Amino acid sequence: MIKMGYLSDKFSRTFAPFGILKNLFKKPMTLQFPYESLPPLADYRGRHALDLEKCAGCFICSMICPNKAIWPAEFNGRRYPQVDLGKCCWCQLCEEYCPNEAIKLTPHSMMVTMDKESAILGLGEEGFVPRHK
Amino acid sequence: MDIEEKEIAFLTVPFGPQHPASGHFHALMKVDGETVLELEPHPGYLHRGFEKLMEYRIHPQNCVLADRLDILDPFPCELGYVNAVEKIAGLEVPKRGRYIRIIMTELGRILSHITWIGVLSMVLGFDSANKIAWGDREKIIRLNEMATGGRIYPCYLCVGGARRDISQEFVDETSKALDYLEGQLSFYDYFVFKNETFVMRMEKVGRMTAEEAIDLGATGPNLRACGVDYDVRKDEPYEVYPEVEFNVITREEGDAYARSLCRRGEIAESISIVRQLLNNLPDGAFRIELSPVWAAPEGECYFCLEAARGEKCFHMVSDGSPFPYRVKVRPPSLSHSLVQFPYLVKGNTIADVPAIYWSLDPGPADVDR
Repeated sequence: MIKMGYLSDKFSRTFAPFGILKNLFKKPMTLQFPYESLPPLADYRGRHALDLEKCAGCFICSMICPNKAIWPAEFNGRRYPQVDLGKCCWCQLCEEYCPNEAIKLTPHSMMVTMDKESAILGLGEEGFVPRHK
Repeated sequence: MDIEEKEIAFLTVPFGPQHPASGHFHALMKVDGETVLELEPHPGYLHRGFEKLMEYRIHPQNCVLADRLDILDPFPCELGYVNAVEKIAGLEVPKRGRYIRIIMTELGRILSHITWIGVLSMVLGFDSANKIAWGDREKIIRLNEMATGGRIYPCYLCVGGARRDISQEFVDETSKALDYLEGQLSFYDYFVFKNETFVMRMEKVGRMTAEEAIDLGATGPNLRACGVDYDVRKDEPYEVYPEVEFNVITREEGDAYARSLCRRGEIAESISIVRQLLNNLPDGAFRIELSPVWAAPEGECYFCLEAARGEKCFHMVSDGSPFPYRVKVRPPSLSHSLVQFPYLVKGNTIADVPAIYWSLDPGPADVDR
């Protein structure tokens, strides 16, 4: 004689896959990148920003950088740090040990470039000027 | 009629390093038909020489480097490094800092185990479970991003505490994510762990006894699945583990299925640990401010901790300079993929090789360093 437990087990197993139909009425789990994307949070470690007025040119950022991605560059007759994003590992040590809070990591995360030169952040009146798209 | 004696030729089949089921791990299998006779592991595809690199870097830079020791489980690597330095220097870390460290480490354990559910499901042919697990992984990655600023590489712990404080928003979001993940665990039970096909693929496959596991250097869930009740968090407690209550998940069978269930049980225990720590989070300072060129005094220490994959140990020698004189890391995956894996696959079929490999949960980055 067939037990009821066996029947109910078979019944639930037979119809369990149809539970997937409820996904028809749900939002998709993924986003249609690049038309939409998940915005990074406020504290995300992305592209650097530099405050030219605060920067004292001490180059502690250059010394602490594990990948040697920061080095001095001339701008307006003074020496400022310049960052190679291709070498950067986004550890935020430059920001953490900057005595004047001049260099900061911003939540900009989209950095696409096809050549090495444009991965280096240029210097302008407003601090770092990205050369990449 | 004389039957000519023919030389029996065995086929050599490579497993990895570009195999979807192997990560960056390479092994050569000698097979007779479908049966694996011998497996020879060839590690080194992810060797980056971290132990040597650490000798030329100061401690804040080394904390960043330690992340890369094990990509899928970076917090214990940082925690081991900073604890070794603090042990040499005799630093007393503020209590809030210790709580934050363990909250993030336990979240990292959940992250690693959920990633493992995804990969194991993928190699067994459950692509839906893989996608769902990696979707759930995003919840923890988002918490990492909120607390540390990085999604995969946190660069979060430092000598003397943690680099950032956690906010009330993070606490609320973590509670929500843990509630969600706890609900998902019953889903994984139904969808993966109690699935008939999954059980048939994993049960009685790659079995080892407790004595064998100890001889082969197994640690973590792989050892506990053989019935050995050993967890560094309980037996040699560090940080704030004496203040939290949790169970050590053990199984008796010692096969691939028991190892899977051990990891599934650990996710639930980690959720409980994080909840306890968040409820009792003390106020006050979370780090000791140290100069970047702060030097640990002369000394030597050995520090062990329980990472997601097993027991991770750091042996550090300091000569009184800002650089460590020597750092030696004993990763858990080393014995899992180089010693236990070749031992367990002998006599099994080729189809069982990925199942055994991922039931051991080794990380190729962890092996090669």
